[in-house]
Amino acid sequence: MKKFLTPLILGTALALPAFGAASAADDTLTIGVATAQTGSLAPFDGPVIEGFKIAVDEINEAGGIDGKIKIETIDKDVRSDAAQTSIATQELVDAGVDVLVLPCDADPAFAAASISGAAQIPAFSTCASSPTLPVMGGDYMFANFPGDNVQATVSAKWAFDQGHRSAYLLYSPDTQYTTLPLYFGDVFEALGGKILGKATYKLDQQDFSAEVTKIKALDPQPDVIMTSAYEPNFPAFIKQLRAAGVRSQVIGSDGIDSPTTFSLGEAAEGVVFSTAGHPTAGSPLEKFNKLYEEKMGKKSETVFNAIGYDLVKVIAAAVKEAGTTDSVALRDAIANLENVQGATSLITYKGTMGMPVREVSLVRVKDGKRELVGQPSPDADLIPAPRMQ
Amino acid sequence: MTVLPWRFLAIAVLVPVLLVIAAAMVGANVGGGVERTLIVFFINLAAVAGMGLYCGNSGILSFGHLSFMGIAAYTSAILSLPVAMKNMTLPNLPPVLAAIHLDFVLALLVAIAFSMLVAYVAGLVIARLEGAAATIATLALLIIVHGVIIGARDITRGSQSFFGVPRETDIWVAAAVCAVALVIVRLFRDSVPGLKLRAAREDLIAAKANGIGVKHERMLAWVLSAGLVALAGVALGHFLGAFSPKKFYFHDTFALLAMLIVGGMTTMTGAVVGAVSITLVSEILRRLEGGIDLFGYQLPEVFGTTQIGIGLIILLVMFRRSDGLAGLDEWDERLLPWLFRRKMPEGDDAPKLAATKNEDTLVADTVTKRFAGLIAVDKVSLSLAPGEIVGLIGPNGSGKTTLLNLISGVLPATSGVVTKGDTVITDMPAHRIAGLGIARTFQNIRLFRTLSVRQNVLAAALNAWPKRSVAEAEAASAAALDWMGIADKAESKANTLSYGDQRRVEIARALALEPDFLFLDEPAAGMNREETDALMETLRKLRDTLGLGLLVVDHDLPLIVRLCDRVVVLNEGKLIAEGAPGDVQKNPDVITAYLGRKRQDDIAA
Repeated sequence: MKKFLTPLILGTALALPAFGAASAADDTLTIGVATAQTGSLAPFDGPVIEGFKIAVDEINEAGGIDGKIKIETIDKDVRSDAAQTSIATQELVDAGVDVLVLPCDADPAFAAASISGAAQIPAFSTCASSPTLPVMGGDYMFANFPGDNVQATVSAKWAFDQGHRSAYLLYSPDTQYTTLPLYFGDVFEALGGKILGKATYKLDQQDFSAEVTKIKALDPQPDVIMTSAYEPNFPAFIKQLRAAGVRSQVIGSDGIDSPTTFSLGEAAEGVVFSTAGHPTAGSPLEKFNKLYEEKMGKKSETVFNAIGYDLVKVIAAAVKEAGTTDSVALRDAIANLENVQGATSLITYKGTMGMPVREVSLVRVKDGKRELVGQPSPDADLIPAPRMQ
Repeated sequence: MTVLPWRFLAIAVLVPVLLVIAAAMVGANVGGGVERTLIVFFINLAAVAGMGLYCGNSGILSFGHLSFMGIAAYTSAILSLPVAMKNMTLPNLPPVLAAIHLDFVLALLVAIAFSMLVAYVAGLVIARLEGAAATIATLALLIIVHGVIIGARDITRGSQSFFGVPRETDIWVAAAVCAVALVIVRLFRDSVPGLKLRAAREDLIAAKANGIGVKHERMLAWVLSAGLVALAGVALGHFLGAFSPKKFYFHDTFALLAMLIVGGMTTMTGAVVGAVSITLVSEILRRLEGGIDLFGYQLPEVFGTTQIGIGLIILLVMFRRSDGLAGLDEWDERLLPWLFRRKMPEGDDAPKLAATKNEDTLVADTVTKRFAGLIAVDKVSLSLAPGEIVGLIGPNGSGKTTLLNLISGVLPATSGVVTKGDTVITDMPAHRIAGLGIARTFQNIRLFRTLSVRQNVLAAALNAWPKRSVAEAEAASAAALDWMGIADKAESKANTLSYGDQRRVEIARALALEPDFLFLDEPAAGMNREETDALMETLRKLRDTLGLGLLVVDHDLPLIVRLCDRVVVLNEGKLIAEGAPGDVQKNPDVITAYLGRKRQDDIAA
């Protein structure tokens, strides 16, 4: 019997000190950060947390939020896994955090939402853009990115205005985000465009010859190919598509706002994608990029750095508004935020059900660099309703 | 129907249950991370014990059990998801499923029943396969179920995570799940089918020759273990609240198998030891992974430490203790051996083997066995009457053992017919022939090596026909051990006995079937002269008291000559002589073929 008891007691003793509850004193704001620092979401959560830390340091060096409330973080790596996110979230809730930060995809965020909701702790996904996230995630779930339906409205309108009249959609039903092209299709058709076909792929897929052959066989060729594929799917797809000689305009979304896209050379030239911001001269984003370079000793290569900075600004604004770090009060304050100045744009949660209103930028890859196509405000009537797909 | 006294099993089962309750109380009081680590531990342990029920008792490693975890988790999740939630997250759910909303317990029961049904269907294939083929089939099952879960997108959300599952699993639910699994696993091990399955694990051919059909036992263990793993799956699903098909695939299969292998897969104790040690090690390594400050040295962050660490532990354990840390015995068998001796009446009331009432003669009519081009047995006819001792001799390779295998059903005959009275037994499977009262031993001793002597004999005794109770089988076992003079070694492991004793156990095992006919393949091999004489005495007494018909194969010619009523001589697969020992000894063909010319004088002397 000793055989069983000893390890049990040992285990208990070992586990004890690791989970001491953090106190939620009113002069510190404790943020539980359960993000994907490894795995498929790391290319997004990694840069977000860099920007996040810059903002936290900036605020703390200035004496805290409103000069008095310091920010503390507890970090956990959830390895891009939904179940792991759920466990880490529970641990953070136990540790008594005031606000939660969850991974960049809707699925792990969903996994955590029931826990954070039950504990009445407001939670943000770092950069998930599925508009269903706050709808399904409940009152305590917030997003921090322009919604898929909004991005799709902006890019579809732009495509139509360019004179494009036919489109082909490549999407993956494996995650909510990768079904963004379906929103694009809705808007494009509503505008009078025609969808020539749809193809699906798997998240770990590297060989797109079947999909490319289908597109190549279309006669006439589609004016536009829309996809929200990202690494590692997008580089593989675009190379194989261009190698097959398909010359249609390719439109992507924020998932390809990464250094990889700009290093693809000829294949990615001319690709247009929607994202959360662009550093025009004198813009807050340009300012942030300077700050980033100063702090990190390298240039910011993706808008997701600024997104992390935005997130802290939003949380700080809510704390200031609520005048407390109480989680329930914070939730109400977040839901009523208006025109918070972030690094990318003004951010508003008031009247949005948790999906923020913020600027969408269209960017073109030109000579391996980003070129601003425009920052149009979407027509509210065109925006499709959020749906699970 | 268990094969150990109830008071022993009550202790064997109660102690782990109390430990689980104690641990749960600690967890519930401490709360937080400790509580959750314990919940995961309980669920893992239930799953590992469930896997062990099949893998351990059948000896067939399964990679497929996680699929039942997955099936159960999804089934229960879909059934217990609130209807409004379903309408939003699963818009294309078939209307029947969309309208159902069951409470947790009901959903759990349906999920387990459904998983066991799937297991039964899969088992129709898998339970028929042996060894590596069965293992690979379970791997295929895992891949197929994973694919189906991803493919059934309308019901499961495909590879996206399934979320919103009511979080019903608290520490008490997890502890209950774990306790139920441990109790069932422990009881199954010493149930009648459990004992038979373990016997078959040790030696399939011997098991069949002693009347164990295996197929039913294997199916039972497979379905039962699928049910336990499904129970763990439901608990896991309702603990996490969200999961994806990935959760029930290779990564977690590896983690659970690691526990099973490190602890030792044949026992409940092994499951507990494995789950405890792997959980401990991964909790420690998980903390090291983040890089820690050790005596002033900052260790770097190394992701993957946990996996590497567990891999190394498996290597180490396999190297030092290939049966796992807990070995082959349950803790209770190690610590409380005196408790499970069942008292048998002594003196005149001591159990006795019943004399056979058989009056049928066993007849092999022109049986032939061809192996590709070689004719091992060529149209040999042989008869064995009740109460008769027939010797079967011939040079090496003359087909003696093959002939024995043909008559006892271990090998199918190419042609020819074997009958016992009016019953044709030629195409019967070996275990049914054993049930008909034809028992045998093997030339190269085939005991159930890691089982005790008593269990070896009991495993056979349970298969006598007409069916008898466990108590009757135990009485027959005791009597058989007594006959062979090894009653005092009943609790020793078979593989720890001397060669001569092992032969005696094998004969006792065959006797416990209370057969009408007994085939002995070189029973005196490895025995000295005194032992051989004692054996001969025993065999003769067996015939005189019980009325058995004996067919004895041996090289020990004096033994054959003195023991047998009749001798049959084979050479190169053909019957070359038959008759009284004295006559056969003088037959010139026999002398030439079997003894060689030079030895004629020795025999005459």
